[in-house]
Amino acid sequence: MKRIILVGKPNSGKSLLFNQLTGLRQKVANFPGVTVELKTGRFDAFELVDFPGTYSMSTLSRDEDIAVEKINQALLDDNTALIICNLDATRLESSLVFGMQMLALAQRFNKKLLFALNMIDEVERFGHHIDVNALAADVGCPVSALSAKTLLGISEFKQQALALANSPTATSEPVHNATTANIAADVPVNPLVQSRKLAAKYGIKASIVLKTQNRIDAFMLNNVSGSIAFLLVMFLLFQSIFTFATPLMDGVESALGALAQAITGMIGPGMLSDFLNDAIFGGLGSFLVFVPQIMVLTLIIGLLEDSGYLARAALICHRPLSYFGLSGRSFIPYLSAHACAIPAIMAARTIESPRKRLITMLTIPLMSCSARLPVYALLISVLIPPQQYLGGLINLQGVAFFSLYLFGILTALLVSLVLSRTANDDAKSDMPFILELPTYRLPHWKPLIHRVVQSAKQFIYRAGPVIFVVSLVIWLLGYFPSDAGGLEYSYLGQIGHFIEPLFTPLGIDWRYGIAILMSFLAREVFVGALGTLFGIEGADENIAGLAANIQQDGLAFGAGIGILLFYVVALQCVATVATLKAETGSTKLVLGLVAGYGTLAYLLAFMAASLIG
Amino acid sequence: MLTLWDAPKGASVTISGLKQGLHQLVLNRLSEMGLDQGQTVLCLRRSPFNGPVVVAIADCVYSLEQQIASHIFIQPLS
Ligand SMILES: Nc1nc2c(ncn2[C@@H]2O[C@H](COP(=O)(O)OP(=O)(O)O)[C@@H](O)[C@H]2O)c(=O)[nH]1
Ligand SMILES: [Mg+2]
Repeated sequence: MKRIILVGKPNSGKSLLFNQLTGLRQKVANFPGVTVELKTGRFDAFELVDFPGTYSMSTLSRDEDIAVEKINQALLDDNTALIICNLDATRLESSLVFGMQMLALAQRFNKKLLFALNMIDEVERFGHHIDVNALAADVGCPVSALSAKTLLGISEFKQQALALANSPTATSEPVHNATTANIAADVPVNPLVQSRKLAAKYGIKASIVLKTQNRIDAFMLNNVSGSIAFLLVMFLLFQSIFTFATPLMDGVESALGALAQAITGMIGPGMLSDFLNDAIFGGLGSFLVFVPQIMVLTLIIGLLEDSGYLARAALICHRPLSYFGLSGRSFIPYLSAHACAIPAIMAARTIESPRKRLITMLTIPLMSCSARLPVYALLISVLIPPQQYLGGLINLQGVAFFSLYLFGILTALLVSLVLSRTANDDAKSDMPFILELPTYRLPHWKPLIHRVVQSAKQFIYRAGPVIFVVSLVIWLLGYFPSDAGGLEYSYLGQIGHFIEPLFTPLGIDWRYGIAILMSFLAREVFVGALGTLFGIEGADENIAGLAANIQQDGLAFGAGIGILLFYVVALQCVATVATLKAETGSTKLVLGLVAGYGTLAYLLAFMAASLIG
Repeated sequence: MLTLWDAPKGASVTISGLKQGLHQLVLNRLSEMGLDQGQTVLCLRRSPFNGPVVVAIADCVYSLEQQIASHIFIQPLS
């Protein structure tokens, strides 16, 4: 199929235009290790490809390299029928800097190019008029004005694009000797002069375009009101993950429970029923409950991004985080990681510098995600008395919770610092902090919903298979030999006894060992597993009962603290490992991380057990 | 020599050139953004504790960290 490619500078309305032209049936191709994403959809008889937003053909980072490399390939490809270059009509100068580079290349490689003069609705709102025909004559290539939002002019645009794409290419000398390597040399050195002239002739005055945005920023970036707004936004983000997502998560849990009951009720007791109940509904269920949380988080991050606030938040956080070798854009991923590491790792895609993005992704698992909450809750109620101080203002158990969260954050910052000092690679792995502050906008719901659904799908596709295997293996090991009489005598129990020497230095016995092993499915499984081993049915709902049993059984204080520290640091979550592997594109790196955090976690637990006693 | 990092909030300053010391690719990008000699930019805000500055360059608003802004020469303020 012939291809039409869509290029343009970031924040110019390119993605929305792509959505309008293709509908929502799209395929996304990711390139591991970089945030580059090529979206493909169907536009009439053509395949439309949405290229990553690009400021220039001369690149600063590895991400930009790949984006430009892909554009170069398209320029050389005989299948490329048309290049649509999206321009933000309200910001002609900055859009045309890339636009003129693109035009020069298109002409050099004998490709047809159409400028999509997007956001024309805004131009009209400013009471301005752009003489499209004169602009087209001046740039020497067709221009079509439209609004991807209000759909003004979109049908004329489609007609023009298709007519161009279907028309035969004017023959000129072939350029087959060109390779993508020598394309860069063809870019005009400074397209700036030309864009400036065109913008002055046709565009809106910058001071008019930027007026509203600057007025809002005067409030949002002000030292006092800006800080309050920032804290408020982050508080809402944090709250909503828990308050919006909790009923949804409970819903998923009880729906799965009801389904399990219905099915096992139908087939009667037996091995199949046990299998369905424990391995399928139990194992996969403990993973599916995170889907709502991931969706809610993706929605909120999407809202922040599309409204324009995300860039402001990055600006506010940049200075403090840069001390640790991180970017201002690392903040939202870190915050999100307190709900779940997976959407947080995805959110790290917005970090401009490849190196800082990698460091952020690698340290995200140290944040205390919500799957650790039940583990913390159980062990804290075993170890820490519910003492109150200052008339109930300070609760000792609350302080313990807070300390664990803080410990995770501090460890993450320390590891970031170490990583940023040790990783010394080429210039293109880093990117200076040059951040465009886009206009504030009301987000468009359609692409947002699409993104939210996509995040859930991606989570399930990436992590589902390995979760399934792990839960199957754990179930088989825990169930057989089935005549043995309980978990203790199962293969899993035997493994637990066998590796007990590994746990003895931590002051804990095989039961905790098994529970820790089973946590690789999802950390909160720890509670259910200990429940089974301590003879408490439904331990998830009866943490106090289980805590009492463990207390009676006698868990040394130091050993208990050790387990807590272990859970803060160890990278136990298979779903996170799968996501990290997909995003970094390196199995070695991720396995190294699992080993590294595992060792650190073990050492901390050992120190706690032997020093505190 | 004054740099963009020294520009007070609200000042409209004229770029007089880019200082060597930044990577050539970064220099290219800065000039493509409109930070070339003779251009006027507006310093919109400064952040506490040496955080990034916010400047309006042509039709865009950018936030630049100290390491960048201190490499952009400006003409003395009038
Ligand atoms: N008013 C208006 N807003 C638009 C138009 N096209 C896109 N937007 C908004 O501009 C923002 C950036 O659009 P997006 O498609 O994500 O830009 P991209 O970065 O170029 O892909 C989004 O909030 C869109 O809803 C348009 O034609 N008119
Ligand atoms: Mg986009």
